[in-house]
Amino acid sequence: MSGIDLPGAGLWTTSVGSLPKPPYLTRARAKYARNEIARAELRELERQATREWIDFQNSIDTDVVVDGEQYRGDMVAFFAEELPGLEIGGLVRAYGNRYYRKPVATGPVGREHAVTVEWWEFAQSLTDKPVKGMLTGPYTICDWSFDEHYGNRRAFVLDVARAIRDEALDLEAAGARFIQIDEPAASTRMDEFSLVIEAMEIITAPLRAHTITHICYGDFHDAYPKMLDIPVDQIDLELANSDYALLQSFGEHPFTRYLGLGVSDVHSHVLEPVETMVEGIRRALKLLPADKLFVDPDCGLKTRTVEEAQAKLTNIKKAVDIVRAES
Amino acid sequence: MINTTVVGSYPKPPSGKKPGASIPFELRRVLRSLEKGEASVEDLHQAQDRLVTEVISEQEEAGVDVVTDGHVRWDDLVTPFASHMAGIELSGLLRYFDNNVYYRRPVCVGPVEWRGPVSVDAWRYADSVATKPVKAVIPGPLTIARLSLDDHYSSHEKFVLALARVLAQEAFELEAAGARIIQIDEPALLDAPEDLPLARRALGAVVAELKLPQVVLATYFSDAKRLGADLFDMPADVFHLDFVSGPENEELISLIPPESKLQAGVLDSRNTLLESTSDVGAFVHRLFEEFGADRLSLAPSAGLEFLPRDKARSKLERLTQIARRAGE
Repeated sequence: MSGIDLPGAGLWTTSVGSLPKPPYLTRARAKYARNEIARAELRELERQATREWIDFQNSIDTDVVVDGEQYRGDMVAFFAEELPGLEIGGLVRAYGNRYYRKPVATGPVGREHAVTVEWWEFAQSLTDKPVKGMLTGPYTICDWSFDEHYGNRRAFVLDVARAIRDEALDLEAAGARFIQIDEPAASTRMDEFSLVIEAMEIITAPLRAHTITHICYGDFHDAYPKMLDIPVDQIDLELANSDYALLQSFGEHPFTRYLGLGVSDVHSHVLEPVETMVEGIRRALKLLPADKLFVDPDCGLKTRTVEEAQAKLTNIKKAVDIVRAES
Repeated sequence: MINTTVVGSYPKPPSGKKPGASIPFELRRVLRSLEKGEASVEDLHQAQDRLVTEVISEQEEAGVDVVTDGHVRWDDLVTPFASHMAGIELSGLLRYFDNNVYYRRPVCVGPVEWRGPVSVDAWRYADSVATKPVKAVIPGPLTIARLSLDDHYSSHEKFVLALARVLAQEAFELEAAGARIIQIDEPALLDAPEDLPLARRALGAVVAELKLPQVVLATYFSDAKRLGADLFDMPADVFHLDFVSGPENEELISLIPPESKLQAGVLDSRNTLLESTSDVGAFVHRLFEEFGADRLSLAPSAGLEFLPRDKARSKLERLTQIARRAGE
């Protein structure tokens, strides 16, 4: 860890990763799936949408920018498409009326070429702010895939970890100073938490960048303080959707990392008022200093509309400005 | 000949390998239109009826002896029953056990009360299109309670027993409609061995008035080792054990009393890899020798909705193939 080197005294704003795709891109993706447009045409629209999101984040002065993952379908399928050994499988339900194509491991998983670096370089060329490298963690990739090859979860997870490590090293070589490795599945089985840690160690040990992981959907009361053993500099948590209940645990066991403080529920159409977010930030500041805090939405915003997501990010920025002015 | 059955759920989307955007299959399309106000509840019911007919004939074609409607009208087993009760509202998304599937958590905000049957019309419809017996499946009171947040009773015991009274009505109505087999799913019991005495009282309340020949108690996603022989004191005729996610369940086989039957979950309903007939066949043969065909049935480890449709069907075909060979 070489220091985060950001302007100001803390409460830096960022996003968790995904941002909504504008309707023209959603339509183009459907057309591409039906073979009605060429890959190059889709690619141009993905670049256009990425440019729009970077411009938006520049306009609200976001401290650490994301590319918004306009070229990714979902966080696991994207890597499954690019890594040899993983294939895209059949449709299964995620929740409600939402379905996804669940990947399948059909052979040893490795990495033949960089999969996110070009997009990172493109995004970074559009802003003076640092752009975060965004990767999906090995435990989550494996847990959200079928396994027809390994028959052994640890062997599967550690092979994927080495592939993701190579990607992280390439991002760092390209200039990424912030690299996030999302593990939303980390809290699924507490008896496998040591595997989550072992896999993350493979990725972060050789990195000098500021490393972050994002965890969600779990029983945090089981996962805390154990999650502090994950070898990353920063842990990003969804707090707004549980009314900041997790902060109470920090009173008993101090939180020892940088915290990504989620202050907006991404599964709700409701726009939280600035004042509610301000209150959440103030509650966190009672437990952690400003220079250990990043402020962001609870999770990726891709399930919201562009307008909803922009409104949430704008309110987050307003809330941060209010609290910054207090200190 | 060893009988075969399913645990409950079945995939809703059709088979198909087209990459890219998801197939907008009928049920999914109608649900979307309903949300936008462009379809009626009647349209939804018709789409659901068609899908039930389809998944029942798929099970029957695969050779399954006791079928279900595949729960294709529901998102999961717990929320349709919970949300239909007075006193319960649904809240935010939570992970469904250790699956990458999410459900809306029920919150108890007032006294839990029966507001009429949830699953009876669905069972009747399934029975009318099936040639094989249709198993009725309902969630157990302990599992509903543990997947919910109780803001009303402030006593876990009172909450569970109140849920049990409502479920008893549902079970009674199912029996009155003609169901001969009712399966009650209590997967949450596996993580809560301390709740076993309470779960026994609650299940007793659910089945007290029933005269039907078979009550099945299903646990899955893990092993029942921590419950031990006490599990089999629960008032059920048949016990479903998941031997895939809970291989330790093999240690319980010898503890099953002679008057009880085993519904053995032997094929992985959560992974696409198709098991070899010989490996599973050897285990099933052991079970057959221990229990005989009268006290043994075979099933996937849990609901099949975790698999793509074509894989679910392959699993059922493999299951009936194993049952035939082991029973020879």
